[in-house]
Amino acid sequence: MAINYLILLSRQGKVRLAKWFTTLLPKDKAKIIKDVTQLVLSRRTRMCNFLEYKDTKVVYRRYASLFFIAGCASTDNELITLEIVHRYVEQMDKYYGNVCELDIIYNFQKAYFILDELLLAGEMQESSKKNVLRCISQQDSLEDMEVSCRFLFFYSEHRHGGGSLSTRIWRSEASIPLPLHY
Amino acid sequence: MPTMRGLVQFIADLRNARARELEEKRVNKELANIRQKFKSASLDGYQKKKYVCKLLYVYIQGYDVDFGHLEAVNLISSNKFSEKQIGYLAVTLFLHEEHELLHLVVNSIRKDLLDNNELNNSLALHAVANVGSREMGEALSTDVHRLLISPTSKAFVKKKAALTLLRLYRKYPSIVQNTWAERIISLMDDPDMGVTLSVTSLVMALAQDRPEEYRGCYVKAAQRLKRVVVDTDIAPDYLYYRVPCPWLQVKLLRLLQYYPPSADSHVRDIIRESLQQIMQIAMDTPKNVQQNNAQNAVLFEAINLLIHLDTEHTLMMQISSRLGKYIQSRETNVRYLGLEAMAHFAARAETLDPIKKHQNIILGSLRDRDISVRRKGLDLIYSMCDSTNAAPIVNELMRYLQSADYAIREEMVLKVAILTEKYATDAQWYIDVTLKLLSLAGDHVSDEVWQRVIQIVTNNEELQAYAAQTLLTYLKSDCHESLVKIGCYVLGEFGHLVADNQGSSPIEQFLALQAKMMTSTDNTRAMILSSFVKFVNLFPEIKPQLLHIFHLYSHSPDPELQQRAFEYMSLATLPTDDLLRTVCDEMPPFSERASILLSRLHQRTAGTTEKKTWVVGGKDANTDGAEILMAQNTGLKRTFTTIVNGTRTGTNGTPSTSSASGDLAGLDLSASATPPPPPPNMASAANLSPEWEIGYNKLYFIEEGVLFEDAQIQVGLRSEFRGHLGVVKLYLSNKSSFPIGSLTTTVDNRSAPHLRIDSKSLPEPSVPAAGQTQQTLFFEAKGPFSDAPTIRISYLAGALQAYTLQFPILMHRYMEPSNLSAEDFFKRWRQIGGSPLEAQNTFGLVAKAGAINESFTRRIAEQFGWKLLDGVDPNRTNIVGCAVYHSAQGKTGCLLRLEPNYERKMYRVTIRATQEGVPQALARQMEERLSQGPLLERTYTREQPRGISPNEDLTGY
Repeated sequence: MAINYLILLSRQGKVRLAKWFTTLLPKDKAKIIKDVTQLVLSRRTRMCNFLEYKDTKVVYRRYASLFFIAGCASTDNELITLEIVHRYVEQMDKYYGNVCELDIIYNFQKAYFILDELLLAGEMQESSKKNVLRCISQQDSLEDMEVSCRFLFFYSEHRHGGGSLSTRIWRSEASIPLPLHY
Repeated sequence: MPTMRGLVQFIADLRNARARELEEKRVNKELANIRQKFKSASLDGYQKKKYVCKLLYVYIQGYDVDFGHLEAVNLISSNKFSEKQIGYLAVTLFLHEEHELLHLVVNSIRKDLLDNNELNNSLALHAVANVGSREMGEALSTDVHRLLISPTSKAFVKKKAALTLLRLYRKYPSIVQNTWAERIISLMDDPDMGVTLSVTSLVMALAQDRPEEYRGCYVKAAQRLKRVVVDTDIAPDYLYYRVPCPWLQVKLLRLLQYYPPSADSHVRDIIRESLQQIMQIAMDTPKNVQQNNAQNAVLFEAINLLIHLDTEHTLMMQISSRLGKYIQSRETNVRYLGLEAMAHFAARAETLDPIKKHQNIILGSLRDRDISVRRKGLDLIYSMCDSTNAAPIVNELMRYLQSADYAIREEMVLKVAILTEKYATDAQWYIDVTLKLLSLAGDHVSDEVWQRVIQIVTNNEELQAYAAQTLLTYLKSDCHESLVKIGCYVLGEFGHLVADNQGSSPIEQFLALQAKMMTSTDNTRAMILSSFVKFVNLFPEIKPQLLHIFHLYSHSPDPELQQRAFEYMSLATLPTDDLLRTVCDEMPPFSERASILLSRLHQRTAGTTEKKTWVVGGKDANTDGAEILMAQNTGLKRTFTTIVNGTRTGTNGTPSTSSASGDLAGLDLSASATPPPPPPNMASAANLSPEWEIGYNKLYFIEEGVLFEDAQIQVGLRSEFRGHLGVVKLYLSNKSSFPIGSLTTTVDNRSAPHLRIDSKSLPEPSVPAAGQTQQTLFFEAKGPFSDAPTIRISYLAGALQAYTLQFPILMHRYMEPSNLSAEDFFKRWRQIGGSPLEAQNTFGLVAKAGAINESFTRRIAEQFGWKLLDGVDPNRTNIVGCAVYHSAQGKTGCLLRLEPNYERKMYRVTIRATQEGVPQALARQMEERLSQGPLLERTYTREQPRGISPNEDLTGY
């Protein structure tokens, strides 16, 4: 009953975050990413959230511009894995506030830290949103203290629109908040 | 949310790069810059962190950043948390468990594990949980375990430690010592839900591998499930869209499937209660997708448990009608899961009738728009097939095969081939269907399928002529190469059986095969050449044509074909055909050892570490240990004997899988491995706690009192016995001034099945200071027994405390005095006669026993339940008694003659009873007691244990 990997994939097929809970050779990882990308991107709406891939199961869900893909054993409970993914999205939403793909790109390290509080060894570690958020805030305040002399800088790509960055990106799908309710 | 400006700017730059080349250029520039910076000694921590972050981002984009690994990993020894944290992220992303740099960081990780700061502990745990190897496990597992069990560990460290230990256990199982079990299980009661959830994951892995050692987790899981589901005893934060921690529910429901159903009726009751509640809640209309998914996740796991238990028939009925609805649901997920659950049901159900009702809908699922659903449909169809519906199912599958997508075809062909073989009712049907299958399936046939056809034809005489004839017809038309392979082999072996038929003369057989040679691959051509040499033997009349072919192929550019042609030519042109005849003699039947089809099928599913509780396939596949074993172990070729059972009915009545387990002996993994030493059973009499005898001896003949007591806990006991039934109520009192947690009792019954123990209730897991909890147990005598049951009582009071105590419950509790006249006594005594209905023990007293006298002897005998019959024995010092022993089998009359020798401090006890085993057990029990002398028999004041009201009536149970 454990997740083997979690991949966040943009609709263009770019990996935004990948977490491996099992040890694999780089070439095997690359193969899985390639195969699973192909499988998931070719799925149409209203199909189920589960796929069989070799002797494993792939549970995925699309949130706006991002696919969240979890690989697990074929005997695992599919829906509960799907809701682990959802809890992760909610958790990021709570932290970033209306999370969108850009948040995950620009603050990827935070996305990893949140995931570490949620899943360990591929197993759900904490399902309370409050507890996870408390952990991350504690880490943030430590960091703030340590770098108090540094000023904050917001990536203006979507937060403030325009700025020094091209409008091409400003309009991109990556700035659409991930929908939390279907 | 703190951010690093340089990093954000860099990411923005990369995102602005319009082409891959521009991106690469920017990356290379940055990498050169970082390389430069790392060389200079003046970098401060913040800058290092920033550059490592850039490296991480570049790495995620798919670039190679090996040069920075060392610098990145060094960050973990920083004394600033944010830098350390990035260092650890780099460790988990850049390194893997066999990376050489890991050796350098083990010491830093250990330092952080032992640190007083919990944030550092958790970073170190994350690292071990991500990249922990066997080596790291050996170095760090005791530290991780300490963090898990230490009373001073914070909840958020404990849960991480539990999962880290799980990772290390997966890498190297022996790091989890077998003395840890009880302590780990007790954490399933932790007040923190995160700890409970994490520890349950750990226990699940351990219980799969060491079911006996972790047996205690079963009751714990049942209780915990009830608390969450029925009592909704859960913090609001752990309700997920109104569903109480669905993750924990699913895990507990799965854990319960790793064990056979409990024999204890109370445990079964609380499981049933939870299952009913889950089914009830599932009727609620969910308010959103999340609630719907969470409810269904739990519901489908509950269904799996119900199918596994196989005892809850009313609930099962409800389920099977609900499953019928699910497979027609508009929600694709529910259709998928419904089919999956039904396949599980089919794998276990006594009868397939409830499933067959939905046969058309299930067949319809093969045309679902979603391939995931189609696959599940196929699994179910395969599982629900039996001899009554095999023909229509196989037909439908073949019809669908022609339009099926490529991804699923090979599996379909394999499954159809297995079903056809398994359920063939007559031989011709088997041949017709299989050959048609091969011609339809085209290239999507694994070699095993056509090879299997050859095996079966070879081994079943009555198939041979029909197969040869049918194959010849196929060969004359445009057929797929796999049919050519079967065709050439079968004609080579059995062509002569049909040579007299119209259109099947030797030359016609030859021409049909020769025509196929042009278009076939070299492999098939080689097979045809071999058939032709057999033709030389079978049909000398066409030898010139055959020699011509050999001649042609002796110039083949393919060395294999060339060699065969040459060898066959020489063989055919030898002066005598003795050698030819020997070489081309009919092939002996195949040894029928391995069904290559089944092993092929299970190759697909093998290779997961998770224990499978069932395999796709019908009930016979799931009751056949060999097939499950095969499904569980990769690469294990299984033995399997299948005969097409059609025309042979009667002549060969052996069930198709009968020889499986026997033949498997050499392959069975469990046979080859030396059995591990049995796990310690902490509840057994071998582990009795010091001073256990005080209470045991005190209560040996009386019904209530204190069984055990120390500064922390008092165990009071009150019992009542009627006939063969006994009720015991345990009063567990917490005498300390702080609450205790995870109170667990485990009863060990060495006397099963002669003594049946069942619980009516379980103690509360947590007991406040000066509080008390109770447990009620039933003890039913079913026959003679001589080992008193024991109980393990454990609880958490900071550390784990545990006691093993023995119940003063032996046969004397079920004895009832019975009066008899002297005349009747002697009559019965003679009627019963000697061995085996008599037992006689002569014994002396133990050294410290003290003096014995008549009143002592009489008292003990009376307390054992004997009615002392005075004046029966001519020798007045001898004691004669009569009693009835009650057991579920009925009453056993028992007669006693006890001959004391007070001078020599010896006894001779003789017992006769109407049932074998009873006198032996009774005599032994009396010896044990009498030989201790009055030592044990101090006059105890009848102290009242705490919390027992003197007038409480136990008979209400």
